Amino acid sequence: MPATSLYARRRITNALAMGLGTAATVLGLFFLVWILWLTLLRGIGALRGSLFTRITAYGPDGGLANAIAGSLMMDLIALAICTPICVMAGMWLAEYARLTRLGTVIRFLNDILLSAPSIVLGLFVYMIIVLPMSDLTDGAVSFSGLAGGVALALIGLPVIVRTTDEMLQLVPATLREAALSLGVPQWKLTVQLLLRAASSGIVTGVLLALARLAGETAPLLFTAFGNNFMTAHPLDKMASVPVAIYQYTNDPDPALHAIAWAGALLITLFVLALSLLTRLFLSRKKANHG
Amino acid sequence: MDNRTAVIAAGAVTTMAAEAAHRTKIRVRDLHFHYHGFHALKGIGMDIPERQVTAIIGPSGCGKSTLLRVFNRIYAIYPGLEARGEILVDGVNVLDPAYSVNLLRSKVGMVFQKPVPFPMTIFENVAYGIRHHEKLSRADLAGRVEQALRSAALWDEVKDKLKQSALGLSGGQQQRLCIARAIALKPEVLLLDEPTSALDPIATGRVEQLIDELKRDYTIVIVTHNMQQAARVSDCTAFMYLGELVEFGATATLFTKPTKRQTEDYISGRFG
Repeated sequence: MPATSLYARRRITNALAMGLGTAATVLGLFFLVWILWLTLLRGIGALRGSLFTRITAYGPDGGLANAIAGSLMMDLIALAICTPICVMAGMWLAEYARLTRLGTVIRFLNDILLSAPSIVLGLFVYMIIVLPMSDLTDGAVSFSGLAGGVALALIGLPVIVRTTDEMLQLVPATLREAALSLGVPQWKLTVQLLLRAASSGIVTGVLLALARLAGETAPLLFTAFGNNFMTAHPLDKMASVPVAIYQYTNDPDPALHAIAWAGALLITLFVLALSLLTRLFLSRKKANHG
Repeated sequence: MDNRTAVIAAGAVTTMAAEAAHRTKIRVRDLHFHYHGFHALKGIGMDIPERQVTAIIGPSGCGKSTLLRVFNRIYAIYPGLEARGEILVDGVNVLDPAYSVNLLRSKVGMVFQKPVPFPMTIFENVAYGIRHHEKLSRADLAGRVEQALRSAALWDEVKDKLKQSALGLSGGQQQRLCIARAIALKPEVLLLDEPTSALDPIATGRVEQLIDELKRDYTIVIVTHNMQQAARVSDCTAFMYLGELVEFGATATLFTKPTKRQTEDYISGRFG
């Protein structure tokens, strides 16, 4: 009799937990699918060739060519700045400071940076780059693509540091011992063997960071500012897709709204492609270790 | 002086093992090992003969792998581990911090329990260590790689696929590749840490046969939990229990007429 009541109670608890879990999943997926569906619907309706050939200066008759170019350029600047720094920092964390107190503290700070509001990072770059540049050049250079790239680099930084750190820690200790037992010094082991063994994971981290910063608007508002014309000069004000979307959605003109939807779709597709690429790299990693 | 004699006396039981015909290659004196407060090796003393196979046996946790890992100071890559005492290789104390670990590890090679091929080609796996220690011409390097692979009885199986990834080899081949990688540096001593425990019987047989061939050129110390293996491959055997060296002697003697009760219990399968 107590046994059956215990069993009944477990069944109820189980059903309850499963019900709540399923409800939460459905709720989450519902909004995700809704967002994607809406973006797809409105975005596809607004897709036109001129999106890629005309610049935002034409307004409702224009496209996003300068914003797309600006986004790509600033994303590249960001990755060029943060990838080497982050990979080295991750290497230091995983290989030289793994069990030290300093390593733990830095790992913690890195996690804080990971969740730092991106507008704060934008303001930070405004203070340390945009304002001093403006002072130095008497206002000739203020907002710039370079400053935007730096702000985006700060977004990507903790992502790449963390994945590099984690991927290196996943490399089995036996590989380290085997290399060190050949009398090879730690730095050679790290650079020649561990980075190679963890390379697909690190590339994944870089792609994840790119996916993250491709959609960022806030850090660019006070740094790259935006530009209605095409420019390739990193010290010019620079347009970007997220900022263009932000500006167009604040406009009453429905034609601009349509372009904003198309831009949103482009970013979504870009991030989707990056995610697929990431999966590809990870599955290759598994195949390597299998 | 007196202190020194006492230390040697402490290890006296062990020294009989080295047959007169064989010079002592490694002399261990009063070796203690601590990690995070745990006393893992308690005053080990033994003389390991040159160009012979010395097996270290004992139940799990007896300190046999720990002892092996002191010989090339590989333990030192982890914080909080400490070895005290002396390990004299050809009379030089290699535990002296002033003694270069990289030099030590080029003289004392090691092969681990699981095969650990590097994520590169078969050729590069063997060439990797050589490149670090010596500057050789392309042809000389290729010669050394071939020689090492031949010594490890792997050459015939891989000579046509040197440019392929080492990860594609079978477990037994990978382990022989690791042996080739270690002997490519022309070490004097080869440490084998349960080298066949991840291999099937056929691959194990090949590695054991290889060990027998390699002892012509190298002093070999092998840790094994497999007593039959110790009996098959070794000339001398050390039996360890709870961090102490219980008995050390010629393999034939130790397995047939052990002098200590614990040794007898272990080899007759009463514990372990």
